[in-house]
Amino acid sequence: MTQRRDYSRWRVLAVLFGLLVLILADHINSATFALNSGQGGVETSYSQLDESACAPCGAPCPSRREGDG
Amino acid sequence: MASVNPTSATTSPGAAAVDGARRVDGFVVATALAGLALLGALIWLEAPIDRLWLLLIGAGLGVALYHAAFGFTAGWRNLVTKRRSGGMRAQMLLLGIATVLIVPVLGFAGELGLAGISGTLAPVGTSLVVGSFLFGFGMQLGGGCGSGTLFTVGAGNVRMVITLAAFIAGSVLGTMHLPWWLDQPGFDPVNLVTGLGVVPAVALQLAVLAALAWWFARIERRHHGAVDRVILRRPENGWAATLFKGSWPLLWGAVALAVLNLATLVVAGYPWGITFAFGLWGAKILQAVGVDMAHWEFWTWDYPSLALKDSLLVNIVSVMDFGLLLGAMLAAGMAGRFNRASRRRLSAGPVASAVLGGLAMGYGARLGFGCNIGAMFSGIASASLHGWIWFACAFAGSLLGIRLRPRMGLEN
Repeated sequence: MTQRRDYSRWRVLAVLFGLLVLILADHINSATFALNSGQGGVETSYSQLDESACAPCGAPCPSRREGDG
Repeated sequence: MASVNPTSATTSPGAAAVDGARRVDGFVVATALAGLALLGALIWLEAPIDRLWLLLIGAGLGVALYHAAFGFTAGWRNLVTKRRSGGMRAQMLLLGIATVLIVPVLGFAGELGLAGISGTLAPVGTSLVVGSFLFGFGMQLGGGCGSGTLFTVGAGNVRMVITLAAFIAGSVLGTMHLPWWLDQPGFDPVNLVTGLGVVPAVALQLAVLAALAWWFARIERRHHGAVDRVILRRPENGWAATLFKGSWPLLWGAVALAVLNLATLVVAGYPWGITFAFGLWGAKILQAVGVDMAHWEFWTWDYPSLALKDSLLVNIVSVMDFGLLLGAMLAAGMAGRFNRASRRRLSAGPVASAVLGGLAMGYGARLGFGCNIGAMFSGIASASLHGWIWFACAFAGSLLGIRLRPRMGLEN
């Protein structure tokens, strides 16, 4: 039984390659890459649990904002 | 999640036989595996090793979402328009399993040697109510929620690529306005475990979920005379073929998603989330074209500002999203259905609804502290009050979205 392909193989590869290039470009300009390259004094986001935050996105608590205001 | 069953909505015996005979798409499977291997190798070389496990957990979630076609969006709509409750009951089962697995782990984290972990908690207030309502509205127009958008994009659905692009744009806009919304009336997170204790919180949540499932089944029985046993149906093509090629019973999907969310909690330190990455990707794009994100209050907060400066390969949510995309691609290849949903040409109405839905979901996800996964699934699994409020408000928004769908050229 032959099946008709619903996509272009080259297009799929081109999209994935483009995304990989973007991820690499982002990585090369990142704090982690700088740290891995031996730069000192770089703050990375390895530990992403911000205990003062009130939500997963890092938003502060409403009570703290009232206090700030 | 996806409103269009990615493994085809047809479940007749004839269709099942055709599905059983469908060949694995070797190119798509090989490409997805190569993508996972390449990304995994990069993470192994450059990032903490836990990100590698999270990439694989994300891939597992992508496979489970695709093969089970576990649809929040379609489940909500089927209850409203067809009075079919299978999807909603499956979601209650998912939340029940996750409650039993995750709440005790969070409650006894110290005793279990997991002192560094925390649940998904978020403030309750205007921002949550408005955001979740907008999200529910958007998911019906966009064709899926955060995970649904991702796994259908991974399976090659072109319309959902438009939804994802708009989702990212809406998320960035949401990060611009979230500080203002947080200044509107609201209060700090409410953790039911803190107020009630672990066992009463689990018992209360299970009782509410069971009552909701019973109510949904009653609606279906009243309109159809009986309840469709979709959750417990047997695999149509044999256990092994179903496991690898798809059309999982909803029970399999619920168990896999709940267990993988628990694995995320243990490895990452907090439960599964999806949509923070969308805002981050959008902000990185804006930054790359010269926009100074330091002027946006959101991007000065500790976690977002560090994430913006750092690599996507160390951002937990992004790594899991990449895994989810590739896992869904792998599953679509195993099912021989990659890009199948894009056979029909796109017309103006569905494109406009994808844009509107994506924007509403992106903006709503930031105001509502996540999507069906980050806010509802992980929120309720953490016994956080905000998860329940998100569910109620998003369902109300969904009712509006469902009414608008026919005007946008979408079927109900």
